[in-house]
Amino acid sequence: MIKITNLEKFYRTEEVETIALNKLSMHVDTGEFVAIMGPSGCGKSTLLNILGMLDDPDEGSYVFNDIEVAHFNERKRADLRKHNIGFVFQSFNLIDELTVFENVELPLIYTGVSAAERVKRVEEVLDKMQIMHRRNHYPQQLSGGQQQRVAIARAVVNKPKLILADEPTGNLDSSNGNDVMELLTDLNEQGTTIIMVTHSEHDARYSHRIIRLLDGQTVMENIMV
Amino acid sequence: MFKNYLKITWRNLMKNKGFTAINIAGLAVGMASAALILFWVQNEVSYDRFHTKADRLYNMYNRSRFDGKLWCWNTTPEPMRKSLKQDYPQVDQATRVTDAGFLFTVGEKHLTMQGNFVDNDFLTMFSFPLIKGDAKAALNVMKNIVLTESTAKRLFGNDDAMGKTIKIDSVDYFTVTGVMKDLPNNTRFKFDYLLPWQYYDKISNKGSESANWGNNDVNTYITLKPGVTEDFFNSRVKNITRSHSDIKDIDVFVHPAKKWRLYSKFEEGKQVGGKIEVITLFSVIAAFILLIACINFMNLSTARSEKRAKEVGIRKVVGAGKSSLIAQFMGESILISLISGAIALLIVQLSLSGFNNLTQKQLFIPYGSPSFWLIFTGFIVFTGLLAGSYPALYLSSFAPVKVLKGTFKAANATFSPRKILVVTQFTFAIVLIISTIIVKEQLDYAQNRETGYAKNKLVYTLMTGEISKNYNLIRNELVISGAAAAVTKTSAPITEGWSDTWDFSWPGKHEGDKIDFNVFNTDGNFTKTMGLKIIDGRDIDITKYPGDSTAIMLNEAAVKVMGLKNPVGQIVLNGNKTKLTVVGVVKDFVLQSPYDPVKQMVIQGPSAWFNVIHFKLNDNLSTAQSLKLAEGVFKKYNPEYPFEPHFVDEAYGKKFQDEQRIGTLASLFAGLTVFISCLGLFGLATYMAQNRIKEIGVRKVLGASVMRVTTMLSKDFLKLVGIAFAISVPISWYLMSQWLQKYSYRVEISVWVFVAAALLTTLISILTVSTQAVKAALANPVKSLRSE
Repeated sequence: MIKITNLEKFYRTEEVETIALNKLSMHVDTGEFVAIMGPSGCGKSTLLNILGMLDDPDEGSYVFNDIEVAHFNERKRADLRKHNIGFVFQSFNLIDELTVFENVELPLIYTGVSAAERVKRVEEVLDKMQIMHRRNHYPQQLSGGQQQRVAIARAVVNKPKLILADEPTGNLDSSNGNDVMELLTDLNEQGTTIIMVTHSEHDARYSHRIIRLLDGQTVMENIMV
Repeated sequence: MFKNYLKITWRNLMKNKGFTAINIAGLAVGMASAALILFWVQNEVSYDRFHTKADRLYNMYNRSRFDGKLWCWNTTPEPMRKSLKQDYPQVDQATRVTDAGFLFTVGEKHLTMQGNFVDNDFLTMFSFPLIKGDAKAALNVMKNIVLTESTAKRLFGNDDAMGKTIKIDSVDYFTVTGVMKDLPNNTRFKFDYLLPWQYYDKISNKGSESANWGNNDVNTYITLKPGVTEDFFNSRVKNITRSHSDIKDIDVFVHPAKKWRLYSKFEEGKQVGGKIEVITLFSVIAAFILLIACINFMNLSTARSEKRAKEVGIRKVVGAGKSSLIAQFMGESILISLISGAIALLIVQLSLSGFNNLTQKQLFIPYGSPSFWLIFTGFIVFTGLLAGSYPALYLSSFAPVKVLKGTFKAANATFSPRKILVVTQFTFAIVLIISTIIVKEQLDYAQNRETGYAKNKLVYTLMTGEISKNYNLIRNELVISGAAAAVTKTSAPITEGWSDTWDFSWPGKHEGDKIDFNVFNTDGNFTKTMGLKIIDGRDIDITKYPGDSTAIMLNEAAVKVMGLKNPVGQIVLNGNKTKLTVVGVVKDFVLQSPYDPVKQMVIQGPSAWFNVIHFKLNDNLSTAQSLKLAEGVFKKYNPEYPFEPHFVDEAYGKKFQDEQRIGTLASLFAGLTVFISCLGLFGLATYMAQNRIKEIGVRKVLGASVMRVTTMLSKDFLKLVGIAFAISVPISWYLMSQWLQKYSYRVEISVWVFVAAALLTTLISILTVSTQAVKAALANPVKSLRSE
């Protein structure tokens, strides 16, 4: 599904040039659950952003579903993104002014799904995430675990092929964290490809494969059994 | 998607009530101001455009050179109409128009009303529709009269006025042959009734004079036949006066209806604008006020962008394109503009009567008109787009990678577009403040000008009904009864010039010189009644000097322009070659515009033309007592007419109405602009105080005093106001020097005006900003640091 080759990304300020990704190559197959690990500043998030097409690489190739996307413009990337990729963030990133239902509904609106169909699909996914009873609440009225489940519901409501999770359990206690990991595992078992950045060895164990980064390069790959 | 936007907009508005209130208040006030001005402009622009024949309708003008300048004016000879209709095949219809003022009597009702004498064509040339009567025939008989609806109502109540009889001036009986819809608020005409020209011919008693091409004393209007162009007709009509008389230096031309209101200033024979300048100026002010209100919206929206940044990021991540975000933010601003528009409409409705008072208009909101709602909707959308464009582009451009990381700080407070916007606002506000001060100064200056005569306790009244016949009795009894200290009969009120001529010659006059004099008639006691100073010679006094029926007095300006060394005793010839003797010279006094130099003037001794009685009230009695006595005298000798005294000081005061109006409007809009700008400044200061709370905490922990922090926070804003001031000084100086150019009697722009404006603006901005700055400075650092 994903194949990147010699990917490079620099950050420049007037005096310093920082290399975030240094000729990084990797691939992820459809249906895989991959964890990316590494110390702070190793380029994990940069990689995830590029994979999610929120950012573009300076050099190298990124093939997504057999399409070279490295040099797509913003509009094309947004289009590809909204139909194929769901995001889960450490800090949930729900819109405070929208209710649970409305937050989850958002991606469907942008992909032009009809209103009746939206209600059906949002309810379906809220049900699955067991937060149906909270549908009319605002994010601030929910616990962290509940918020993250809403965020996951939003990420999957459009039935994306790929979910990118950036430390999804980082702001949660271990019990809620485990719930979230279970959810992701379920999704993966139903066929969704998942790439997750994490600091937690515990969480990483839910994946099939761990890619360890240091200074923008792959240093090790562990295949989980 | 729309519902989603609406929801989030609404919730955002509710969540930030303070900002919402500032935004909406600013926009509503701005929109209301702009709307008021636009209503006014619309009214001005629509003047006399509603006539179905407006495109073919013209006013006849003369053009001639005198006093060394080429002048244009629209009073024309009476016989011109006949010639236009007979000799010019291009002319369709034509009418003369001149003023009428009569006492109407219906039963026990006596009313003095103002009307016009017109020719029969009038009613079919102009679109003043008759509710009753036949427009083609209503005025073709001498004793017919057409009333406006409200005049009919005043005279006959709810009875049908048609066919009823009205006594006019206790001499003639008229039959109502038409009732006209009341005049709209956008026409140059102003009359309660129309009378046929035949009646004017009868009472003006001019005989052969009415065929004189040398008397320019009536207005003439024509319609040209379809297809005849203005230029073509001008080429034909140019010599009409020459061809009928021995007057060889007058060109005649037409002025089209569409230019009457806004383009009727002529200089050196050319049309050079007119009221359009004021219209343009206020349209610019309207645009700027709206812009300033929109700037508030832009500033507050972008200042709060950090709060919206996360939402933008999330929406982008879940699939929103930039265009759908722009649409969302535009939608928000249009919604706010809609709410503001509704409030603005309310403000306009509430303030309209006051505004009408100020502008002397009868403006109203045409709620029933679909085009009004269409334009109003357009206005709202336009405002929404103007206010929302920049924030929409700014907010929608955030990169999700940055904003969602939580490290995002919107460009800091030194962000320059916002500063430019604040400077723009304050520049405009300060220009308005300075202009207002200068307008007021000019007004004061002119009002304090020495008039040259004693306005105080000086009263005049028009010579209606029997007054002329009983004048000597009235004069004697006014003095004997103790009502008046002195009485004089004149041709016009002392505050107005009703007559002028260039038909004088005197020893030493250069051949071909055409110098126009104001002309005044008096029967004597002129200087005593008016309190004028005689510089040389004496006043005209027919009782003492029987030869004084041909005596004249000159003013200083006349002596100067005539170049007379020893004016008293000199002989001046008038148009009829009558020898007039100069008996005195009076000190210059202001007759017409208090802004112009005093024009040369001839005061003639007793002749036929008298219209006004002036009398100086007795100093030993109260004004009320004197007036009561005077009223008794007038009632005795002129019983059918109401006694209507006019105080000269009030009449003189009316000369300043235009400037007063401009002054009031300027200060009103200056005030509003300052208000809106400060509202925005307050919003920014509030935001800044919240935003820098951590910085303030750190500074306080490190030992900064409240005073120091307050100063630091206020300084940034004051700097902007300072820059705005620096920009506005040359702009306002230039604009106001231009404005003052049109007054020959004018103030110098002094440095103090700018100092005053600077102090005022600084004070207002400090008050606006410092409340928030002090609040932020007083906050407990422990609390603010922990909250981060």
